[in-house]
Amino acid sequence: MLNNYQTAEYFDEMMKDTEKPKPHYERFYQMLRQFSIDNLHEKNETAQLSFLRQGITFTVYNESVGTERTMPFDFVPIIIPSHNWKKIERGMKQRVQALNHFLEDVYGDQEIIKDGIIPRDLVEQNPYYYKEQSEGLNIPHNNHIFLAGIDLIRDENGEYRVLEDNLRNPSGMSYVFQNRYVMRQVYPELFGEHSIHTLEHQLSELHQALIAHVPENSKNPLHPCAVLLTPGSYNSAYYDHVFLAQQMGIELVEGRDLIVRDDVVYMKTIRGLKRVDIIYRRIDDDFLDPDAFDPRSVLGVRGLLKAYQKGNVSILNGIGNGVADDKAMYAFVPDMIRYYLNEDPIIPNVQTYFLRNPEHQDYVLNNLDKLVVKNVGASGGYDMLIGPHADEQEIEMFRKKIIEKPSQYIAQPTIKLSRAPAFQGGRFYPCHVDLRVFVMTGSKSHVLPGGLSRVALKEGSLVVNSSQGGGGKDTWVLHEGGNHHA
Amino acid sequence: MLSRVANSLFWMARNIERAENNASVLQVQLINMLEADDAEVLDRDWEEVLEIVVSLAEYQSQHPHFKTDEIIHYVAFADKNYNSLINCMTYARENARATRDMIPERLWEVLNKFYLELPAIRRNDFTLQEIQDFLKTITMTSMTAQGVVESSMIRGVPYSFIKIGKWLERAEKTARILNVICEKARKEKQGSVNHHYYWLSALRLVNGYDAYIKEHPPTMDAEHVLQFIIEEDRFPRSIRYCMDHVMETINKLEKGEINHYSERLFQMLETIQQEVISFKSNDMSMEELMDFLNHFQNRCIQIGQIFSETYYLVEPVEIK
Repeated sequence: MLNNYQTAEYFDEMMKDTEKPKPHYERFYQMLRQFSIDNLHEKNETAQLSFLRQGITFTVYNESVGTERTMPFDFVPIIIPSHNWKKIERGMKQRVQALNHFLEDVYGDQEIIKDGIIPRDLVEQNPYYYKEQSEGLNIPHNNHIFLAGIDLIRDENGEYRVLEDNLRNPSGMSYVFQNRYVMRQVYPELFGEHSIHTLEHQLSELHQALIAHVPENSKNPLHPCAVLLTPGSYNSAYYDHVFLAQQMGIELVEGRDLIVRDDVVYMKTIRGLKRVDIIYRRIDDDFLDPDAFDPRSVLGVRGLLKAYQKGNVSILNGIGNGVADDKAMYAFVPDMIRYYLNEDPIIPNVQTYFLRNPEHQDYVLNNLDKLVVKNVGASGGYDMLIGPHADEQEIEMFRKKIIEKPSQYIAQPTIKLSRAPAFQGGRFYPCHVDLRVFVMTGSKSHVLPGGLSRVALKEGSLVVNSSQGGGGKDTWVLHEGGNHHA
Repeated sequence: MLSRVANSLFWMARNIERAENNASVLQVQLINMLEADDAEVLDRDWEEVLEIVVSLAEYQSQHPHFKTDEIIHYVAFADKNYNSLINCMTYARENARATRDMIPERLWEVLNKFYLELPAIRRNDFTLQEIQDFLKTITMTSMTAQGVVESSMIRGVPYSFIKIGKWLERAEKTARILNVICEKARKEKQGSVNHHYYWLSALRLVNGYDAYIKEHPPTMDAEHVLQFIIEEDRFPRSIRYCMDHVMETINKLEKGEINHYSERLFQMLETIQQEVISFKSNDMSMEELMDFLNHFQNRCIQIGQIFSETYYLVEPVEIK
């Protein structure tokens, strides 16, 4: 079945070598062998069509023309044994907890700066640091991070590492559910006798976490009115918004559906105005309120920030979270964990070089062909140099960029990202994968079992972002004892 | 429910209904034209069709001559024609997309499927068969969409807005079809053979021929046909039936109570109901009939406006 499949020098999620799967993939492997390639091909087509038919799409903008595209789905799941998952789960809770302390601190007394752990200018020069808007606010549970998406990778030794924190508007949770749904519809046989964590109750966990954020002055604290604020149906993550609102049973609103009167937020309904308590916004800070941020924004709601500051409405995720999840601050998260929690990080970072540090810069400029260089403010795989894959011209372009604006860039070693088999065009081949883990927090923290496994389907590519040709896989977390050894 | 969402549901239903009705009118004409004996008759028939499904004046301002293919293209595909079949269906899908959290998943899938298959439709150099198939697809899409709504939606607020949109659209279209036919009958010679032909085509255009024939075999007189299309309360495309259902739905929406904000709406609906009920075709001249139909179409526009204001479907929303 996996003839000619080469694990090479990479860590492979599924295969020990060309012949033999790892123990936790043994059953899946046996099951797979019962299908013919034609059969798999046919099922693959059915699965892709199913996403299109259901309109589970994201919008790609090219010269201002939007095209709806589906995220390609690959049916070989990422299977995570119970003991691995438990470690990830603890590591994610720890990390999000420390990051939340950090946010509470930088918008409060700034102890971590005073104690010299984090340079002041790294915080205060950060474009996403909204001191004026967020300083000293009393928010429910002191929680800034209702939903975090932490991206994990595995290195050549199979060790999990955090690649990126997403504390603003992490998207993709709907895909976790839809991947599972399609997997169950199209490949029921493959589940076989696996005992995996169900996703059934996860959205009610999310809803619980959401409505735990009742604002101080709510008139209806037992049944707060929560809404999901979307930029609208032209946004690339619109499906994600629809799905979450629908599943949590809350209204999906746009900026124009809301209005602020006397520092209270209302939504416009067919029966007049209705008071809103909690806003899960999927609009970036800048566009939230033209009075407080970008005055040109037409997506937001005038006066929203003031209502928030007065404790009349909760806004999730918190305003100004961007200061904690950019690529420069990332390097300090292990220090934050030690500082706030007095613990060692359970899941380590990837080694990161600061280009504003002359020593680091020197090293990086001499090793550009071996390193990955990232713009600290960019995401989605944009403005990024992958040294080993780049030509001379690109390397020189980045050399210039780095010398011009050193604080704008960081560098990391090129990690041999782990791979897993993907099935495309009638054969299996190894593709790089990563995992976005979702952490939801209300009165307590909860980690969604598994998460979104993203796969770089272009052979040899390292970029897993859906906007750049990445696909998704189902992620199975095995129950304890579900790790059947052959 | 959010006003914006209510508005989208209302327009989703109207657009689906409009596409289905216009497709059906075009379908009738594609058959009719096979028997048209001269170019003049053919042109006149096309004038009627254009007046029913779009605006004749607007079409003529852009196209000095009638060419069958051009007209079909305009009615079915043209981007610049706000009411082209493809535009109506695309708006309906956009409306559905903006209300996905309110409507059954299947309803979205039905509209999305139509949209996804659009690139395969030839918009120029098409054969008649291709157009017929396309019209059939529209009809089937609309019917499936209605089926999903009927068989799976809770009879709540979103359902009501969908239904009101559909009935209003249908009532208006039925009135418009009759109006166009009357206009034609008035202009032409009043020969009895021709009359038969007008009323037959009126019934076909409102998709009511089969239903009528069961009730009135095999006569085709003006009085019966008009009674059937205007006031037959068992015929689901008659003006009476549609308006009764708008009234009934709004009654349910308001739980039978009239509040200060809905007073105007109820008054207007009652006025219209009275006007329709007291309509008597037997002692009316053609001019009077046309006045009635024109008046009713204006009423439809009024009711649409009052409805929108009552439920804040239009800006601005003022605090109460």
